[in-house]
Amino acid sequence: MASAYNPIYTDVPEKDVFALHFLQTLSNLRTQNSFSSPDNKTSDRVKKIKKAAYVSMARAAGGTNRLWSRSLLHQAAKRNNKNVRFLRRKRRVTWLMRRRSNRGDPIEDVAAERLRNLVPGGGGMETSKLMEETAHYIKCLSMQVKVMQCLVDGLSPK
Amino acid sequence: MDLTGAFGARSAAVGACREPPGLESLHLGGGDGGFTALLELPPTQAVELLHFTDPSPSSSQAAVAGVGLDVSPPPPPLHAYGALTFPSNAALMERAARFSVMANEQQNGNVSGETTTTSSVPSNSDRVKTEPGETDSSQRLENNRCGIGKRKELDKKVKGSTKKKSKSSEENEKLPYVHVRARRGQATDSHSLAERARREKINARMKLLQELVPGCDKIQGTALVLDEIINHVQSLQRQVEMLSMRLAAVNPRVDFNLDTLLASENGSLMDGSFNGTAMQLAWPHQVTETEQSFHHRQLQLQQPPQPQQWPYDGLIQPAWGREDDQGHGNEHNSLMAVSENLMVGSASLHPNQVKMEL
Repeated sequence: MASAYNPIYTDVPEKDVFALHFLQTLSNLRTQNSFSSPDNKTSDRVKKIKKAAYVSMARAAGGTNRLWSRSLLHQAAKRNNKNVRFLRRKRRVTWLMRRRSNRGDPIEDVAAERLRNLVPGGGGMETSKLMEETAHYIKCLSMQVKVMQCLVDGLSPK
Repeated sequence: MDLTGAFGARSAAVGACREPPGLESLHLGGGDGGFTALLELPPTQAVELLHFTDPSPSSSQAAVAGVGLDVSPPPPPLHAYGALTFPSNAALMERAARFSVMANEQQNGNVSGETTTTSSVPSNSDRVKTEPGETDSSQRLENNRCGIGKRKELDKKVKGSTKKKSKSSEENEKLPYVHVRARRGQATDSHSLAERARREKINARMKLLQELVPGCDKIQGTALVLDEIINHVQSLQRQVEMLSMRLAAVNPRVDFNLDTLLASENGSLMDGSFNGTAMQLAWPHQVTETEQSFHHRQLQLQQPPQPQQWPYDGLIQPAWGREDDQGHGNEHNSLMAVSENLMVGSASLHPNQVKMEL
């Protein structure tokens, strides 16, 4: 998708990238023996699929370049194993320090708190950065939803 | 005097256009406390120069000479600017003229009702915050760009008068400073400026979010918009969960192989653009596959899906045809190789090509 110049950079890849990653993750899931055995409870499978969806979305959307995807991958990896390492981004200290000293606007603070709980990795971010991440997150989420919708529609018997 | 004449001419020229860009690049001192340092005056005297007293030589002289001149008479209407005379100190006058012209063009710009965003210097274009100037009154005094930091002593000195016009006209070249314009009557200490910059940043991003979330542009007020955004994110997450549940429900019922699934659907999509024989070869091969890899589960589709739902799968399809006899690990490579051909338009369905029941 062509992107006009936007100083706030929130481009997401095309739909096929998401599809690719999701299918890859799903097929990886399928190789696990525990997945397809019939005595598996549905809720476990659902959880696994959901996690797969999020992880694949995070990978498709830019890997560790984005804060929310990084946090997602970190969470996922922590559950499996602890072998996740990524580059430490150079911290921009000034805005972070300013955040501690700012007098929060009560209107946006309440909503910002809720956003922080929703968007992964939103705990340590400043409000402006949080909103950037939210925009990117929304775009990626909608893309992922489209992919999954297509998949489900394709698989469900008519 | 020729200097005043020159000044008058310049101001007239300035009044025509918004601001000569040459003046923007004036490096006035550049150091700390720029304005005052440049004039090499004690701050109070410098401030005096800023305040336009009556356009009479005597008062201007007094302005130069006496620090104790009271500031209380408000500056005359600024459109009668050209008639102002300046102190006779040549060097002083020149500098003062330069400063005044810079201030003047701001005012002239405002007087003429423009809402200028005078940050024509894109040096920190990614950090430039420009407020759209509101022309509520004819005499709108605006700060020039001030860096956040030390350039505020001048402002603090003139805080007494409401019509203060404080400016610090240095350029912030490549410093990580945010360009903020302070409005009239607003405090100009660094904290509030930073606060304002931050708020503008947030507002810019809020606008971005508003465009993203459907139905948000109608809503007024930040709180409601934020609520709407939060609702949207929550609904998206719930949708993901719902779809994953459906996917999980679909899975056990159909013993399916994703690759063949896509292959088949792309086979239906790509009429003639893909070598169908390869696919035919692949499928019987898959039928006879054993438990070696995960390819051996077949998908039974009663009906091919709609073409518009799978516009992106054509790239995956040839990979599956090729990789069946290859090992498991090559899948990734072929996937990536195939992902270059992003061709598949939504072709018409070929029912006879969809032989999923093998």
